[in-house]
Amino acid sequence: MSAALPSSSLAVQRGVLGAVLLVLCWEALARGLHLPSYVLPAVSEILACVWSKRALLGEAAAYTLFEALVGYGLGCLIGIGFAVSISMLPPLRAVILPVATAVNSVPVVGYSPLILLWFGIGVASKMVMVAMAVSFTVFLSTLAGLDRVDRRAVDLMRSFGAGRLSILWRLRLPTASPLLLAGMRVSTVRSVIIAIITEMLGAYGGLGWVIYQAVMQIDFVQVWSAIFVASAASLSFFGLIGFLERKILFWR
Amino acid sequence: MSAGSTALSVDKRGTGDPRWSVLPDWLRKAARLLLGLVIAALVWEGAVRFLGIKPYYLPRLSAILAAIAATPRAYLDGFLRTLAETLIGFAAGGAFGVLIGIAFFRLRALREMIFPIFVVSQTIPVIAFGALVVLWFGNTLLAKAVIAFYLTFFPVTVNTLLGLETVDPKLVALMKSFGASNRQLLLRLQLPTALPHIFVALRLASSLSLVGAIVGEWFGDTTGIGVLLLQAMFTENVVALWGALLAAALLGTGFYAVIAAAERRLVFWSAQQ
Repeated sequence: MSAALPSSSLAVQRGVLGAVLLVLCWEALARGLHLPSYVLPAVSEILACVWSKRALLGEAAAYTLFEALVGYGLGCLIGIGFAVSISMLPPLRAVILPVATAVNSVPVVGYSPLILLWFGIGVASKMVMVAMAVSFTVFLSTLAGLDRVDRRAVDLMRSFGAGRLSILWRLRLPTASPLLLAGMRVSTVRSVIIAIITEMLGAYGGLGWVIYQAVMQIDFVQVWSAIFVASAASLSFFGLIGFLERKILFWR
Repeated sequence: MSAGSTALSVDKRGTGDPRWSVLPDWLRKAARLLLGLVIAALVWEGAVRFLGIKPYYLPRLSAILAAIAATPRAYLDGFLRTLAETLIGFAAGGAFGVLIGIAFFRLRALREMIFPIFVVSQTIPVIAFGALVVLWFGNTLLAKAVIAFYLTFFPVTVNTLLGLETVDPKLVALMKSFGASNRQLLLRLQLPTALPHIFVALRLASSLSLVGAIVGEWFGDTTGIGVLLLQAMFTENVVALWGALLAAALLGTGFYAVIAAAERRLVFWSAQQ
């Protein structure tokens, strides 16, 4: 995505202008046409609701982010682990790749009813769902990165007596890291969304649960404020990983 | 979500077995596919039987197929309904994505104003958005298609834009020097250049639109794969749950295969396939 993002200051100004125009149109539409809040609440109404329910929303966001972060960490470890073991032991590829593709042929949200049955409606099921969603993306991008290593560089290191582990650590992983980190960055937003989706099917707390409750009570201002908080949470998570990416890939 | 597209070129196995070369190409492929499916089914059945996996976690494949055969109507209806939602959402999202991609390419100011909003819009959890869409459009097929559309258009927009930007400016200058109009430039040069990129996004979008349709059905519908999944969860019927998952897998892979086949036809010059 970032390649298509503009970076000059004029572009930033235009981006801000676009956002301001959107908010103004929204506000004018909602106020001017006196739209009922279940159709479209005004932006000011939503922001007021976010502020007045900040304790509830903050707690829910923390709950969801906790699930998303743990699941995200697990998913990254699993994805990288499988990819690295394939590159260390090539015969594994014939086993792992078809299984991974078969599991992935079902859209990941399809598994959430099953996972809820298996792991209950506590935090564990959300972590598992997030880990599943994240691990596949990270697995494939890591694998693509590890496969990109120059054969001659491997041979060179071997001729100097480097072992498999040292080739992995000094050559393969650094070569794979741009793709790996891109996969991780893409997975951030996904992990929050998957956590929220799973929460809506059954949970004790979290943003998805808040949204579901609000839908049931037809309190659409609260739905919008929860959406607002959820977007802010995913964006900051995305920003955090993007920041780490720039720190780690200092040579780019 | 665009980098998920790295996921999309897994099956690149060699096809150089001389014994098979007497058969026509498609037959060989079909045979290999069938063989793979049979092996997978046998492994599944065998693993459940001999490792003693509880049916609560993974029922035997034969039990699942028997359950589907017992009530084929529900699965068929659900499959067709979800297919319709997916296809409408995908078609609308694909067309909108390409058009907006072209518009963004032509009008830089428009792109800089709206593109950030698109990016932010993708962080809205689809299910929360779904609640609103179902409210706006009612609990109809259209509402589900809109959710599928919402998930589909963004990757297509991004990749159309990226593809259009890879066009060699020298070729544009050349065509202009021969008096090509903007429309000719677009149809003969820019879109064909962008097509491989667009198809990468379309393949990704094919699975995303299915996600949108399934999630959309969770807001209370009566037919569809998503409905089957939820009903099975509420009754804790794991066999039916796996049946619905199989239906989803069939729909997802089938749709993906159709898009990939269309890609091989239309982007025949691309070395990627």
